[in-house]
Amino acid sequence: MEDRPVALLTGCSTGIGLETALLLAREGWRVFATMRDLKKAETLREAAQGLPIELLSMDVDKPVSVKKAVSTVAHLAGRVDVLINNAGWGAFGALDEFTDKEILAQYETNVFGLMRVTREVLPFMRRQGSGRIIHIGSLAGKMTFAGIGLYCSTKHAVEALTEGLRVETRPFGVQVAVVEPGSINTPFKANRRKAALFLKKRSAHQRVLENILYFGNHPSRFTPKAPRVARTILKALKADHMATRYPVGLDSVWFPVARWFMPDFVYDRLLEAMYRRFGA
Amino acid sequence: MTPPIPKKTALVTGATSGFGFETTRLLAQEGWRVYAGYRNIRKWGPLHELSKTMDIHPIYLEVTKPASVKNALRVIRRKEGVLDALVNNAGFVVAGFLEDLSDKDLKAQFDTNVFGLLRVTRESVPLLKLRGGTVVNVGSISGRVSFPGIGAYAASKFAVRSLSEGLRQELRPFDIRVCEVAPGTYATRVVGSTQFGEGTQKGNSPYASFQKQVEEMVKKEFLKARPASEVAQLILRILKSRRPRPVYMAGPDAKFMAWLKWLLPDRVFEGVFGSFFPWSKRP
Repeated sequence: MEDRPVALLTGCSTGIGLETALLLAREGWRVFATMRDLKKAETLREAAQGLPIELLSMDVDKPVSVKKAVSTVAHLAGRVDVLINNAGWGAFGALDEFTDKEILAQYETNVFGLMRVTREVLPFMRRQGSGRIIHIGSLAGKMTFAGIGLYCSTKHAVEALTEGLRVETRPFGVQVAVVEPGSINTPFKANRRKAALFLKKRSAHQRVLENILYFGNHPSRFTPKAPRVARTILKALKADHMATRYPVGLDSVWFPVARWFMPDFVYDRLLEAMYRRFGA
Repeated sequence: MTPPIPKKTALVTGATSGFGFETTRLLAQEGWRVYAGYRNIRKWGPLHELSKTMDIHPIYLEVTKPASVKNALRVIRRKEGVLDALVNNAGFVVAGFLEDLSDKDLKAQFDTNVFGLLRVTRESVPLLKLRGGTVVNVGSISGRVSFPGIGAYAASKFAVRSLSEGLRQELRPFDIRVCEVAPGTYATRVVGSTQFGEGTQKGNSPYASFQKQVEEMVKKEFLKARPASEVAQLILRILKSRRPRPVYMAGPDAKFMAWLKWLLPDRVFEGVFGSFFPWSKRP
């Protein structure tokens, strides 16, 4: 009973976090699924009937809440084998129109929050001499797209943190990787927080942004769903040595490859064509 | 008789030393009017000297203070009415292994390098739109490769790289060109202005011995540093160009590292990269 590996996940109320918690529990892991607001736990509770999932509240934006949740896990399980840094959301708007507050809020969760949890968990993993940390990055961590530029910049930062942590924690037996989903059919897109100026319809980029929002928001029937990401996470956890990056979805694999070969000016012409389509 | 060509106006942030200082001087030599943003009045001596003989206007601009950014741009708007170039150069390094960095350390790093850049850009865009302009963001090779011991800096520069790409797309319809200049090791005051993380300063960090080795490497690396004026020349070239490239790696070391990173698969790159940090082997 007690030798089950222990996993700590953030942002488990919907999407990737929820599906990963379920999959790991089905695989026999002891799962601590955390979310900002336990009132939103109904979906997970219903799906988790009989599975070894323990629910905790953790708001990664708040240092006290993170400390409390991690110490609860340490108290109940005595160890943390896996940390999945999944909590995150997307800001939508033009880069020159976000207010300071909006910018900070986006980074607070996606970057500072991720490091907050990591910082609390690492001492346990170092003491154990083993542990795995998986950040949920994004295709947006490799390429930047107009309209979600701020979100992309946070995910670029996550790529850097993954690479940095990987080298820094290796002597202690801790492995770090980033899972990079492309477009996935989850509530993520519906939950995007739009810039105030855009909502007031006073943005200088109003029409372009509206078009991007319209085109970018409709998943096709080929768009992978969250369980696909969960399976990739499981694959990474089962590998002897985790690779640095695990792209999920065709777009996440092929966009960077296409960009890899493409000279900058071709890429720019393509973007221009896209803008024309968006009616800029 | 042809009418005199109106002077071009540039704003350079972090202009008291390094790339900012060299760029300010070079642009002024080339006939630009330069607003040179400084943060620390005690460091503005050299800038003040230059401003006596050249068209350089030192202006208080602390990128982490929204009011100072707004005020600086208000002054430029009143005096010039227009801006042709913005060089987002202000930045510094928070050093320390990532686990050793507190919330405060991380936020300080991003507040200057990322949020500060966005703040200045946001206020400058209305002036840049008027007759089309150029924004040059100073990134780093750390925006391509994340070195151990300066992970927070790398994260901020990865973000700058992304922001440059995003701004380039979003501002193109307004005839504003955006590029990133990513230098390798140059002789600037970046080492002197480095702040160490809380855990690093305490001295009981589990990473202390690695930290020491990284610092030794940095010292050695900076013995080969190239002059900052090289980057200023590059920025001038970009500002003169009608169609600048999106990214300029500056210096042979940055070019080589970026090329390796582009060329090699992660696993191979990590093998090569890791061999420079022998302590980072698996136990």
